[in-house]
Amino acid sequence: MTVRESAVAAEILRIAHDDLGIDGQPDAAEALQGALDSLQLLSLVVAVEDRFRIILEDDDAARARSVEDLARIVAARADPALLPAAAVEARSP
Amino acid sequence: MTSTSTPHPAILSVGRALPPHYVDQETLIAALSAYWGARHFNVARLADLHRAAQVGGRHLALPLSEYPALDTFQKTNAAFVRVGADVGEAAIRDALRRAGLSPADVAHLFFVTVTGVSTPSLDATLANRLRLPATVKRTPIFGLGCMAGAAGIARAADVLRSFPGEVAVLLSVELCSLTLQRDDASVTNVIASGLFGDGAAAVVLEGGGRGEARGVPRVLATRSVLYPDTEWVMGWDVVDTGFKVVLSARVPEVIEANVGGDVDRFLGEHGLARRDVRHWIAHTGGPKVLEAFRAAVGLPRAALERSWRCLREVGNLSSASVLFVLGDLLDAGEARAGDVGLLAAMGPGFSAELVLLGW
Repeated sequence: MTVRESAVAAEILRIAHDDLGIDGQPDAAEALQGALDSLQLLSLVVAVEDRFRIILEDDDAARARSVEDLARIVAARADPALLPAAAVEARSP
Repeated sequence: MTSTSTPHPAILSVGRALPPHYVDQETLIAALSAYWGARHFNVARLADLHRAAQVGGRHLALPLSEYPALDTFQKTNAAFVRVGADVGEAAIRDALRRAGLSPADVAHLFFVTVTGVSTPSLDATLANRLRLPATVKRTPIFGLGCMAGAAGIARAADVLRSFPGEVAVLLSVELCSLTLQRDDASVTNVIASGLFGDGAAAVVLEGGGRGEARGVPRVLATRSVLYPDTEWVMGWDVVDTGFKVVLSARVPEVIEANVGGDVDRFLGEHGLARRDVRHWIAHTGGPKVLEAFRAAVGLPRAALERSWRCLREVGNLSSASVLFVLGDLLDAGEARAGDVGLLAAMGPGFSAELVLLGW
Protein backbone atom coordinates (compact mmCIF):
# COMPACT_ATOMS: atom_id res chain seq x y z
CA MET A 1 0.00 0.00 0.00
CA THR A 2 1.11 3.56 -0.57
CA VAL A 3 1.42 5.94 2.34
CA ARG A 4 -1.70 7.66 1.12
CA GLU A 5 -3.65 4.37 1.02
CA SER A 6 -2.34 3.42 4.45
CA ALA A 7 -3.54 6.73 5.86
CA VAL A 8 -7.00 6.14 4.40
CA ALA A 9 -7.04 2.59 5.81
CA ALA A 10 -6.18 3.96 9.24
CA GLU A 11 -9.01 6.47 8.95
CA ILE A 12 -11.47 3.71 7.96
CA LEU A 13 -10.44 1.66 10.99
CA ARG A 14 -10.88 4.73 13.19
CA ILE A 15 -14.41 5.25 11.81
CA ALA A 16 -15.25 1.61 12.50
CA HIS A 17 -14.09 1.88 16.09
CA ASP A 18 -14.89 5.45 17.14
CA ASP A 19 -17.96 6.35 15.06
CA LEU A 20 -19.66 2.98 14.66
CA GLY A 21 -18.57 1.41 17.94
CA ILE A 22 -17.56 -1.81 16.25
CA ASP A 23 -15.66 -3.91 18.76
CA GLY A 24 -12.94 -6.26 17.64
CA GLN A 25 -12.32 -4.19 14.55
CA PRO A 26 -10.62 -6.01 11.70
CA ASP A 27 -6.99 -5.72 10.86
CA ALA A 28 -6.55 -3.71 7.64
CA ALA A 29 -5.65 -6.86 5.73
CA GLU A 30 -8.35 -9.06 7.29
CA ALA A 31 -11.36 -10.16 5.27
CA LEU A 32 -14.27 -7.81 6.03
CA GLN A 33 -16.90 -10.46 5.47
CA GLY A 34 -15.61 -12.60 8.31
CA ALA A 35 -14.85 -9.78 10.73
CA LEU A 36 -18.11 -7.83 10.45
CA ASP A 37 -21.73 -8.91 10.25
CA SER A 38 -23.86 -7.65 7.39
CA LEU A 39 -25.25 -4.64 9.27
CA GLN A 40 -21.79 -3.61 10.48
CA LEU A 41 -20.40 -3.95 6.97
CA LEU A 42 -23.22 -1.87 5.51
CA SER A 43 -22.82 0.72 8.25
CA LEU A 44 -19.11 0.95 7.47
CA VAL A 45 -19.76 1.38 3.75
CA VAL A 46 -22.27 4.18 4.46
CA ALA A 47 -19.87 5.85 6.89
CA VAL A 48 -17.01 5.68 4.37
CA GLU A 49 -19.26 7.21 1.70
CA ASP A 50 -20.19 10.00 4.09
CA ARG A 51 -16.64 10.66 5.26
CA PHE A 52 -14.98 10.71 1.82
CA ARG A 53 -18.06 11.84 -0.16
CA ILE A 54 -17.85 9.06 -2.71
CA ILE A 55 -20.35 6.47 -3.88
CA LEU A 56 -19.37 2.83 -3.58
CA GLU A 57 -21.07 0.67 -6.19
CA ASP A 58 -21.81 -3.03 -5.90
CA ASP A 59 -18.68 -3.80 -7.95
CA ASP A 60 -16.62 -1.88 -5.43
CA ALA A 61 -18.08 -3.90 -2.59
CA ALA A 62 -17.23 -7.12 -4.43
CA ARG A 63 -13.63 -5.98 -4.95
CA ALA A 64 -13.14 -4.68 -1.43
CA ARG A 65 -12.43 -7.84 0.51
CA SER A 66 -10.48 -6.02 3.21
CA VAL A 67 -10.04 -2.54 4.65
CA GLU A 68 -6.86 -2.29 2.56
CA ASP A 69 -8.86 -2.94 -0.62
CA LEU A 70 -11.46 -0.40 0.44
CA ALA A 71 -8.73 2.14 1.19
CA ARG A 72 -7.27 1.73 -2.32
CA ILE A 73 -10.65 2.49 -3.88
CA VAL A 74 -11.19 5.50 -1.64
CA ALA A 75 -7.68 6.88 -2.17
CA ALA A 76 -8.09 6.67 -5.93
CA ARG A 77 -11.51 8.26 -6.04
CA ALA A 78 -11.91 10.75 -3.21
CA ASP A 79 -11.25 14.46 -3.47
CA PRO A 80 -7.69 14.88 -2.08
CA ALA A 81 -8.95 17.69 0.10
CA LEU A 82 -11.05 15.13 1.99
CA LEU A 83 -8.24 12.68 2.67
CA PRO A 84 -6.62 12.39 6.12
CA ALA A 85 -3.81 14.79 6.86
CA ALA A 86 -1.21 12.02 6.74
CA ALA A 87 -2.26 11.16 3.18
CA VAL A 88 -2.06 14.78 2.09
CA GLU A 89 1.40 15.17 3.63
CA ALA A 90 2.50 12.03 1.84
CA ARG A 91 1.83 13.47 -1.59
CA SER A 92 3.48 16.84 -0.80
CA PRO A 93 7.06 17.36 -2.02
CA MET B 1 -50.14 -27.68 28.82
CA THR B 2 -53.15 -29.80 27.91
CA SER B 3 -56.50 -30.40 29.49
CA THR B 4 -58.30 -33.71 29.59
CA SER B 5 -61.55 -32.68 31.26
CA THR B 6 -62.82 -29.80 29.12
CA PRO B 7 -62.18 -28.74 25.53
CA HIS B 8 -59.27 -26.45 24.92
CA PRO B 9 -59.86 -22.69 24.72
CA ALA B 10 -61.14 -21.60 21.31
CA ILE B 11 -60.16 -18.65 19.15
CA LEU B 12 -63.48 -17.28 17.95
CA SER B 13 -62.35 -14.33 15.86
CA VAL B 14 -59.64 -11.86 14.95
CA GLY B 15 -60.52 -8.19 14.47
CA ARG B 16 -58.20 -5.75 12.78
CA ALA B 17 -57.92 -1.99 12.44
CA LEU B 18 -55.50 0.16 10.50
CA PRO B 19 -55.13 3.93 10.80
CA PRO B 20 -56.55 5.70 7.71
CA HIS B 21 -53.33 7.42 6.64
CA TYR B 22 -51.89 5.02 4.07
CA VAL B 23 -48.60 6.07 2.49
CA ASP B 24 -46.86 4.08 -0.23
CA GLN B 25 -43.22 3.15 0.24
CA GLU B 26 -41.82 5.50 -2.39
CA THR B 27 -43.55 8.48 -0.78
CA LEU B 28 -42.12 7.45 2.59
CA ILE B 29 -38.67 7.07 1.07
CA ALA B 30 -38.88 10.59 -0.31
CA ALA B 31 -40.03 12.00 3.02
CA LEU B 32 -37.32 10.24 5.03
CA SER B 33 -34.65 11.10 2.48
CA ALA B 34 -35.42 14.73 3.20
CA TYR B 35 -34.49 14.09 6.86
CA TRP B 36 -31.46 11.97 6.26
CA GLY B 37 -30.20 13.42 2.99
CA ALA B 38 -28.22 16.03 4.88
CA ARG B 39 -26.59 13.30 6.98
CA HIS B 40 -25.72 10.77 4.29
CA PHE B 41 -23.84 11.41 1.03
CA ASN B 42 -25.38 8.49 -0.85
CA VAL B 43 -29.11 8.91 -0.27
CA ALA B 44 -29.87 6.36 -2.97
CA ARG B 45 -28.39 3.66 -0.75
CA LEU B 46 -30.90 4.48 1.98
CA ALA B 47 -33.70 4.23 -0.55
CA ASP B 48 -32.38 0.82 -1.60
CA LEU B 49 -32.48 -0.31 2.02
CA HIS B 50 -36.15 0.68 2.22
CA ARG B 51 -36.99 -1.11 -1.01
CA ALA B 52 -35.22 -4.24 0.25
CA ALA B 53 -37.81 -4.47 3.02
CA GLN B 54 -40.30 -5.52 0.30
CA VAL B 55 -43.01 -3.40 1.89
CA GLY B 56 -45.44 -1.70 -0.49
CA GLY B 57 -46.63 0.90 1.98
CA ARG B 58 -47.69 1.56 5.53
CA HIS B 59 -50.75 2.86 7.35
CA LEU B 60 -49.53 5.67 9.60
CA ALA B 61 -51.00 6.77 12.90
CA LEU B 62 -51.01 10.37 11.71
CA PRO B 63 -50.95 12.21 8.39
CA LEU B 64 -47.38 12.41 7.14
CA SER B 65 -47.45 16.19 7.47
CA GLU B 66 -47.93 15.97 11.26
CA TYR B 67 -44.75 13.99 12.01
CA PRO B 68 -42.28 16.91 11.86
CA ALA B 69 -43.96 18.50 14.87
CA LEU B 70 -43.42 15.38 16.99
CA ASP B 71 -40.09 16.48 18.41
CA THR B 72 -40.38 15.11 21.97
CA PHE B 73 -41.26 11.79 23.56
CA GLN B 74 -44.17 13.49 25.30
CA LYS B 75 -45.70 14.43 21.95
CA THR B 76 -45.18 11.05 20.29
CA ASN B 77 -46.49 9.18 23.32
CA ALA B 78 -49.54 11.45 23.56
CA ALA B 79 -50.26 10.60 19.92
CA PHE B 80 -49.86 6.91 20.78
CA VAL B 81 -52.44 7.17 23.56
CA ARG B 82 -54.90 9.12 21.41
CA VAL B 83 -54.64 7.13 18.17
CA GLY B 84 -54.01 3.85 19.98
CA ALA B 85 -57.33 4.13 21.78
CA ASP B 86 -59.12 4.71 18.46
CA VAL B 87 -57.59 1.82 16.54
CA GLY B 88 -57.73 -0.42 19.61
CA GLU B 89 -61.44 0.25 20.02
CA ALA B 90 -62.06 -0.44 16.33
CA ALA B 91 -60.13 -3.73 16.48
CA ILE B 92 -62.03 -4.97 19.55
CA ARG B 93 -65.41 -3.99 18.12
CA ASP B 94 -64.52 -5.80 14.89
CA ALA B 95 -63.44 -8.93 16.78
CA LEU B 96 -66.55 -9.00 19.01
CA ARG B 97 -68.82 -8.50 16.00
CA ARG B 98 -67.17 -11.38 14.17
CA ALA B 99 -67.53 -13.57 17.27
CA GLY B 100 -71.17 -12.65 17.76
CA LEU B 101 -70.44 -11.39 21.28
CA SER B 102 -70.92 -8.09 23.06
CA PRO B 103 -68.66 -6.08 25.38
CA ALA B 104 -70.71 -7.38 28.33
CA ASP B 105 -69.38 -10.89 27.62
CA VAL B 106 -65.72 -9.96 28.16
CA ALA B 107 -64.24 -11.16 31.46
CA HIS B 108 -60.52 -10.72 30.66
CA LEU B 109 -58.73 -8.06 28.63
CA PHE B 110 -55.08 -8.62 27.74
CA PHE B 111 -53.35 -5.62 26.19
CA VAL B 112 -49.95 -5.88 24.52
CA THR B 113 -47.80 -3.16 23.02
CA VAL B 114 -44.20 -2.06 22.80
CA THR B 115 -44.66 1.30 21.08
CA GLY B 116 -46.17 3.51 23.80
CA VAL B 117 -46.81 3.73 27.53
CA SER B 118 -49.55 5.09 29.76
CA THR B 119 -50.93 4.61 33.24
CA PRO B 120 -53.74 3.74 33.45
CA SER B 121 -52.92 1.66 30.41
CA LEU B 122 -55.00 1.76 27.23
CA ASP B 123 -57.02 -1.26 28.32
CA ALA B 124 -58.60 0.90 31.05
CA THR B 125 -59.50 3.59 28.52
CA LEU B 126 -61.03 0.97 26.26
CA ALA B 127 -62.89 -0.78 29.09
CA ASN B 128 -64.63 2.54 29.67
CA ARG B 129 -65.25 3.33 26.01
CA LEU B 130 -66.62 -0.12 25.28
CA ARG B 131 -68.50 -0.37 28.58
CA LEU B 132 -66.84 -3.65 29.50
CA PRO B 133 -68.01 -5.13 32.81
CA ALA B 134 -66.61 -3.35 35.86
CA THR B 135 -65.26 -6.73 36.95
CA VAL B 136 -63.13 -7.18 33.82
CA LYS B 137 -59.64 -8.43 34.68
CA ARG B 138 -57.07 -6.31 32.85
CA THR B 139 -53.56 -7.52 32.04
CA PRO B 140 -51.36 -4.97 30.26
CA ILE B 141 -48.13 -6.46 28.93
CA PHE B 142 -45.29 -4.24 27.73
CA GLY B 143 -41.96 -5.30 26.28
CA LEU B 144 -42.44 -8.60 24.52
CA GLY B 145 -42.17 -6.80 21.19
CA CYS B 146 -43.01 -8.69 18.03
CA MET B 147 -43.62 -11.85 20.06
CA ALA B 148 -46.46 -10.41 22.13
CA GLY B 149 -49.28 -11.34 19.75
CA ALA B 150 -48.41 -15.02 20.07
CA ALA B 151 -47.59 -14.71 23.78
CA GLY B 152 -50.87 -12.87 24.39
CA ILE B 153 -52.87 -15.72 22.88
CA ALA B 154 -50.90 -18.16 25.03
CA ARG B 155 -51.42 -16.20 28.27
CA ALA B 156 -55.13 -15.70 27.55
CA ALA B 157 -55.52 -19.42 26.87
CA ASP B 158 -53.72 -20.20 30.14
CA VAL B 159 -56.24 -18.09 32.05
CA LEU B 160 -59.22 -19.59 30.23
CA ARG B 161 -58.13 -23.06 31.30
CA SER B 162 -58.70 -21.84 34.85
CA PHE B 163 -61.94 -20.06 33.93
CA PRO B 164 -63.39 -22.27 31.18
CA GLY B 165 -66.75 -20.54 31.21
CA GLU B 166 -65.35 -17.09 30.42
CA VAL B 167 -64.36 -14.94 27.43
CA ALA B 168 -61.03 -13.20 26.98
CA VAL B 169 -59.98 -10.53 24.52
CA LEU B 170 -56.38 -9.99 23.51
CA LEU B 171 -55.65 -6.55 22.07
CA SER B 172 -52.44 -5.57 20.31
CA VAL B 173 -51.83 -1.92 19.45
CA GLU B 174 -48.58 -1.04 17.73
CA LEU B 175 -47.94 2.43 16.33
CA CYS B 176 -44.36 1.91 15.26
CA SER B 177 -44.16 5.08 13.18
CA LEU B 178 -44.38 7.12 16.39
CA THR B 179 -41.15 5.58 17.67
CA LEU B 180 -39.07 6.73 14.71
CA GLN B 181 -35.94 8.53 15.88
CA ARG B 182 -35.42 11.10 13.16
CA ASP B 183 -32.01 12.17 14.36
CA ASP B 184 -30.72 8.61 14.35
CA ALA B 185 -29.31 8.23 10.86
CA SER B 186 -27.79 4.82 11.60
CA VAL B 187 -28.26 2.01 9.13
CA THR B 188 -30.22 0.06 11.77
CA ASN B 189 -32.70 2.90 12.17
CA VAL B 190 -32.97 3.39 8.42
CA ILE B 191 -33.82 -0.30 8.00
CA ALA B 192 -36.38 -0.17 10.82
CA SER B 193 -37.99 2.93 9.33
CA GLY B 194 -38.48 1.07 6.07
CA LEU B 195 -40.07 -1.96 7.68
CA PHE B 196 -42.44 -1.13 10.52
CA GLY B 197 -46.02 0.06 10.20
CA ASP B 198 -48.99 0.85 12.42
CA GLY B 199 -52.07 -1.18 13.27
CA ALA B 200 -54.13 -2.97 15.89
CA ALA B 201 -55.57 -6.46 16.17
CA ALA B 202 -57.88 -8.09 18.69
CA VAL B 203 -58.54 -11.77 19.31
CA VAL B 204 -61.62 -13.13 21.05
CA LEU B 205 -61.06 -16.41 22.88
CA GLU B 206 -63.53 -18.42 24.90
CA GLY B 207 -62.98 -21.11 27.50
CA GLY B 208 -63.67 -24.71 26.64
CA GLY B 209 -66.62 -24.87 29.01
CA ARG B 210 -68.75 -22.36 27.11
CA GLY B 211 -70.08 -24.63 24.42
CA GLU B 212 -69.29 -26.28 21.18
CA ALA B 213 -67.79 -23.66 18.92
CA ARG B 214 -67.15 -25.34 15.59
CA GLY B 215 -64.94 -24.46 12.67
CA VAL B 216 -62.59 -22.40 14.83
CA PRO B 217 -59.10 -23.22 16.08
CA ARG B 218 -58.50 -24.30 19.64
CA VAL B 219 -55.31 -23.60 21.55
CA LEU B 220 -54.00 -27.12 22.14
CA ALA B 221 -50.71 -26.14 23.77
CA THR B 222 -48.19 -23.32 24.03
CA ARG B 223 -44.43 -23.04 24.40
CA SER B 224 -42.19 -20.16 25.43
CA VAL B 225 -38.45 -20.33 24.79
CA LEU B 226 -35.94 -17.78 26.11
CA TYR B 227 -32.53 -18.01 24.49
CA PRO B 228 -29.91 -17.46 27.21
CA ASP B 229 -27.72 -14.36 27.09
CA THR B 230 -29.26 -12.88 23.94
CA GLU B 231 -30.77 -9.72 25.41
CA TRP B 232 -28.55 -7.67 23.11
CA VAL B 233 -30.15 -9.06 19.92
CA MET B 234 -33.23 -6.86 19.82
CA GLY B 235 -35.03 -4.23 21.88
CA TRP B 236 -35.21 -0.55 22.71
CA ASP B 237 -32.68 1.85 24.12
CA VAL B 238 -34.90 4.30 26.00
CA VAL B 239 -33.57 7.78 25.21
CA ASP B 240 -34.81 11.34 25.81
CA THR B 241 -36.74 11.26 22.55
CA GLY B 242 -38.35 7.88 23.13
CA PHE B 243 -37.54 4.39 21.96
CA LYS B 244 -34.40 3.90 19.90
CA VAL B 245 -34.32 0.59 18.08
CA VAL B 246 -31.76 -2.11 18.85
CA LEU B 247 -31.65 -4.65 16.06
CA SER B 248 -28.76 -7.01 15.51
CA ALA B 249 -27.90 -8.45 12.14
CA ARG B 250 -27.70 -11.77 13.96
CA VAL B 251 -31.47 -12.05 14.49
CA PRO B 252 -31.91 -14.35 11.46
CA GLU B 253 -28.89 -16.37 12.59
CA VAL B 254 -30.34 -16.92 16.08
CA ILE B 255 -33.67 -17.94 14.56
CA GLU B 256 -32.14 -20.31 12.07
CA ALA B 257 -29.95 -21.92 14.72
CA ASN B 258 -32.70 -22.53 17.27
CA VAL B 259 -36.26 -22.46 16.01
CA GLY B 260 -36.22 -25.71 14.06
CA GLY B 261 -35.24 -27.71 17.14
CA ASP B 262 -37.71 -25.86 19.34
CA VAL B 263 -40.54 -26.55 16.90
CA ASP B 264 -39.61 -30.24 16.68
CA ARG B 265 -39.46 -30.68 20.45
CA PHE B 266 -42.75 -28.86 20.97
CA LEU B 267 -44.56 -30.81 18.28
CA GLY B 268 -42.98 -34.07 19.40
CA GLU B 269 -44.31 -33.64 22.93
CA HIS B 270 -47.78 -33.69 21.40
CA GLY B 271 -47.17 -36.63 19.12
CA LEU B 272 -46.75 -34.45 16.05
CA ALA B 273 -44.07 -33.66 13.49
CA ARG B 274 -43.57 -30.81 11.03
CA ARG B 275 -45.36 -32.73 8.28
CA ASP B 276 -48.52 -32.78 10.42
CA VAL B 277 -48.77 -28.98 10.44
CA ARG B 278 -51.01 -27.73 7.64
CA HIS B 279 -51.10 -24.05 8.60
CA TRP B 280 -47.95 -22.08 9.46
CA ILE B 281 -48.86 -18.71 10.97
CA ALA B 282 -45.58 -16.85 11.27
CA HIS B 283 -44.80 -13.33 12.44
CA THR B 284 -43.99 -11.26 9.37
CA GLY B 285 -40.68 -9.92 10.71
CA GLY B 286 -38.91 -8.85 7.58
CA PRO B 287 -37.56 -10.65 4.52
CA LYS B 288 -34.51 -12.00 6.37
CA VAL B 289 -36.53 -13.13 9.38
CA LEU B 290 -39.10 -14.89 7.21
CA GLU B 291 -36.38 -16.59 5.21
CA ALA B 292 -34.60 -17.65 8.40
CA PHE B 293 -37.82 -19.10 9.82
CA ARG B 294 -38.58 -20.89 6.57
CA ALA B 295 -35.08 -22.36 6.47
CA ALA B 296 -35.15 -23.32 10.16
CA VAL B 297 -38.34 -25.30 9.75
CA GLY B 298 -37.60 -26.51 6.22
CA LEU B 299 -40.71 -25.08 4.61
CA PRO B 300 -41.45 -24.23 0.99
CA ARG B 301 -41.84 -20.49 0.45
CA ALA B 302 -45.55 -20.93 -0.29
CA ALA B 303 -46.12 -22.12 3.30
CA LEU B 304 -45.49 -18.58 4.54
CA GLU B 305 -47.25 -16.74 1.74
CA ARG B 306 -49.78 -15.14 4.10
CA SER B 307 -46.93 -13.65 6.12
CA TRP B 308 -45.18 -12.37 3.01
CA ARG B 309 -48.40 -10.80 1.76
CA CYS B 310 -49.04 -9.14 5.11
CA LEU B 311 -45.51 -7.74 5.04
CA ARG B 312 -46.00 -6.37 1.54
CA GLU B 313 -49.37 -4.82 2.30
CA VAL B 314 -48.87 -3.18 5.69
CA GLY B 315 -45.27 -3.75 6.81
CA ASN B 316 -44.19 -5.26 10.11
CA LEU B 317 -46.82 -4.39 12.73
CA SER B 318 -44.76 -5.84 15.58
CA SER B 319 -47.02 -7.89 17.87
CA ALA B 320 -50.10 -7.30 15.70
CA SER B 321 -48.52 -8.87 12.61
CA VAL B 322 -48.99 -12.52 13.52
CA LEU B 323 -52.58 -11.75 14.49
CA PHE B 324 -53.20 -10.18 11.06
CA VAL B 325 -51.85 -13.37 9.48
CA LEU B 326 -54.10 -15.49 11.71
CA GLY B 327 -57.09 -13.32 10.82
CA ASP B 328 -56.34 -13.74 7.14
CA LEU B 329 -56.28 -17.52 7.56
CA LEU B 330 -59.60 -17.52 9.42
CA ASP B 331 -61.19 -15.27 6.78
CA ALA B 332 -60.06 -17.62 4.02
CA GLY B 333 -61.96 -20.51 5.61
CA GLU B 334 -59.37 -22.98 4.38
CA ALA B 335 -58.90 -24.90 7.60
CA ARG B 336 -60.84 -28.11 8.04
CA ALA B 337 -61.72 -30.18 11.09
CA GLY B 338 -58.65 -32.09 12.19
CA ASP B 339 -56.17 -29.59 10.75
CA VAL B 340 -53.17 -28.59 12.86
CA GLY B 341 -51.62 -25.13 12.80
CA LEU B 342 -48.54 -23.61 14.41
CA LEU B 343 -48.51 -19.92 15.23
CA ALA B 344 -45.01 -18.61 15.88
CA ALA B 345 -43.35 -15.33 16.70
CA MET B 346 -39.98 -14.22 17.97
CA GLY B 347 -39.06 -11.09 19.87
CA PRO B 348 -36.88 -9.34 22.44
CA GLY B 349 -35.34 -11.58 25.05
CA PHE B 350 -34.36 -13.03 22.58
CA SER B 351 -37.20 -15.48 22.67
CA ALA B 352 -39.82 -17.41 20.77
CA GLU B 353 -43.45 -18.17 21.42
CA LEU B 354 -45.17 -21.14 19.80
CA VAL B 355 -48.91 -21.80 19.84
CA LEU B 356 -50.29 -25.14 18.67
CA LEU B 357 -53.73 -24.83 17.12
CA GLY B 358 -56.19 -27.57 16.24
CA TRP B 359 -59.38 -27.29 14.22
